[in-house]
Amino acid sequence: MRAANRGDSAAYQRLFTAITPVLRKVVRARGAALGHAGCEDVLQDVLLAIHRKRHTWREDAPLRPWLYAIARHKVIDAFRARGRHVEVSLDDFAEGLPAAADPDPMDGRDMEKVLGQLDPRAADIVRAFGQNGETTAETAARLDMTEGAVRVALHRALKSIARLRERMIE
Amino acid sequence: MKTEDLIAALSADTLPQKTVAQQLARALPVAMVISIAAFLAFWGPRPDIWTALGSVAVLKTILPLGLAVMAAALALSLTHPGIRHDIRGAALALFVVLVLGAFGAALLNAGLAGLIAALSTPSLQACLLSIPVLGLPVLLAVFWALSSGAALQPRLTGAVAGLIAGGLAASVYSLYCDKDMVLFVVPAYFTAIASIAVIGALLGPRLLKW
Repeated sequence: MRAANRGDSAAYQRLFTAITPVLRKVVRARGAALGHAGCEDVLQDVLLAIHRKRHTWREDAPLRPWLYAIARHKVIDAFRARGRHVEVSLDDFAEGLPAAADPDPMDGRDMEKVLGQLDPRAADIVRAFGQNGETTAETAARLDMTEGAVRVALHRALKSIARLRERMIE
Repeated sequence: MKTEDLIAALSADTLPQKTVAQQLARALPVAMVISIAAFLAFWGPRPDIWTALGSVAVLKTILPLGLAVMAAALALSLTHPGIRHDIRGAALALFVVLVLGAFGAALLNAGLAGLIAALSTPSLQACLLSIPVLGLPVLLAVFWALSSGAALQPRLTGAVAGLIAGGLAASVYSLYCDKDMVLFVVPAYFTAIASIAVIGALLGPRLLKW
């Protein structure tokens, strides 16, 4: 996370990849009734929250309590918004970070709806990074933008996505 | 969209974000300028301002300021999950208890009749109305800054935001207010600041949602 805050995108991706299976397990244990796609939507809400609030982690504090507090808040919030009340205890997370990786991450449904509401260029940039694995330079060249502008556009698009998803599940 | 695709998109976004403290440092001065400008336009300092600031009455300005600083420290820990806030909360509570203790001592001296006499002045309404009005822009600025954080207890955090705004507003208003008795200042300022804290607690769950 520290490296990620310095702009190390690869380290940041490793962090997400490491925590996602744990989070997925917690969400699925709580939200069986939502089905796998519904759970994946909740999980994606949690990941977005971690990303949007990453500056509220202080580098001199341990990462885990912060991460669990954010995740717990967002899991409860996401389920509540979807009409279900759940109790999440910190013990759910404490089972350990390196859980067996889920071999088959599921599709979320909410994200497609939200991307559809975004302006096409912003949605295109999010897809470029997400699905096509483009680098900043490639996206910049394809869309005839500067790399800085691509970065800002991605940043803004993710911000709008977080906002739209919140509004959607209210 | 698959979750792994979302992760790829998220990790590509490494633009630094402003911290809550930085947002507070940006928003508060703007709100304070508005508040002080309104103060100068509609209230203005009391005629004997320099004498008052040289006397014990300066506490009317300093103590609310101290309250605001302590509340700001508490609000920052409340918006950073995983950071302890019990010590800062206890310090703030102790501060309030000490001030109320001073009021209790004065009340014992003067009796209830003294309190009623001290509060029977048009200054009371002026104080109870002015402080919330002067605090409103500050409250909005504080909420704007804190909403970039991650408040786990939005109602409490909103109330603390109200204490920041109320403390700063009371500090400004004290330059106008010419009543210096403890029996007036403590109950009047306390009620005025508390009313902003209540507004903050009501707005918190709505404005600090994330």
